[in-house]
Amino acid sequence: MLKKAWLLFINTFSISMTANSGYAMLGVIKNRFVDKYGWFTKEEMEDFIALAQSCPGPIACSSATIIGYQSAGVIGALASITGVILPPFIMMILVTMFYTFISTNAYVRIFIDGMQAGVCAMLLDVVLGLFSGVQKMNKPFYYVMVLLSFLYVRLTKYSIFYLALMCIAIAIIKTFLTKKKVEESL
Amino acid sequence: MISILEIFLNFLKIGLFAFGGAYAVIPLIEEQMVTNTGWMTFTEFSDLVAIDELTPGPIIINSSTFIGMKLAGVPGAIAATLACVIPGAIIALTLVWLYQKYKEIPVINEAIRVLKCMSVALIFSVLIKMFLSAVFPEGIAALKEINIPSLIMVIVSFYVLKKFKTNPLFVMLACGCITLLLSFLNL
Repeated sequence: MLKKAWLLFINTFSISMTANSGYAMLGVIKNRFVDKYGWFTKEEMEDFIALAQSCPGPIACSSATIIGYQSAGVIGALASITGVILPPFIMMILVTMFYTFISTNAYVRIFIDGMQAGVCAMLLDVVLGLFSGVQKMNKPFYYVMVLLSFLYVRLTKYSIFYLALMCIAIAIIKTFLTKKKVEESL
Repeated sequence: MISILEIFLNFLKIGLFAFGGAYAVIPLIEEQMVTNTGWMTFTEFSDLVAIDELTPGPIIINSSTFIGMKLAGVPGAIAATLACVIPGAIIALTLVWLYQKYKEIPVINEAIRVLKCMSVALIFSVLIKMFLSAVFPEGIAALKEINIPSLIMVIVSFYVLKKFKTNPLFVMLACGCITLLLSFLNL
């Protein structure tokens, strides 16, 4: 058990240190745990990834938690999540120290402000990518949800945490209504 | 001094609602850190989004470490980072348990779809704010103060990102360099 937990830690740590995105990480995770160690089958791994996508926060953390738990229980989950978090954590501490040190410099300020144009373009690209995901769901209902959420956040001063709770409530009601419809048509 | 417990609770909330992809956490941080608590200025927040993109690692971890560190040093960073991963980890374990029992959970799939729709709208809203502060540095009322080089850079950057699938990192660094160059030329 402890040996497995140690292996989980070492592997997730090294994967987290080298992979530059959550999805790149999933590929390497599959490679190590399915192909190299054979702890899971390919199908199990696919189910884990689907579950990990249903969790809040980075997919790297949720998939590590699930894989860790499945291989060595709660200790395994703790080991692999620590492995995933540590590399970006240590690096960001250094980056923050560096940022606080240089961000008051006039030239650095101009440079960082200038980068904002690139940030806007990158976010626009992200929004369009996510929106094409909504288009793939291919139902007017989801477009309405996008529009309503947008109006809520632009026009009201209420917290987006309430919006999230309302979205979850709407999803629950919708699931039950669809279920009922299916049962009635039978 | 902001207490470690306050930092922990705020990030617990952010971690719990960060559904819908890597960027979903950005609007939550803006609301919680800039609007609600005033722990960050909008400029610091914009800087953070740029830094997130410059450094590898999940955005939520980078952001929470950064903010925690700025607010209360290393203990703050540890509190913020732990807090933002705990909800996700607990939900992941619950889902695995439910999955082993029921195999299929339609309510959760539907909830994730609806939350994804929400997340598109929220990120778009933050994008509008960042765009306005980049292109109209003096506020939207001061239409004459429009920052034309910045507007052109946004458009060109987007074109380059779309057309050549360039790493956003290089696009952002290029924008920074161009702005610095323009300021030397006094434009």
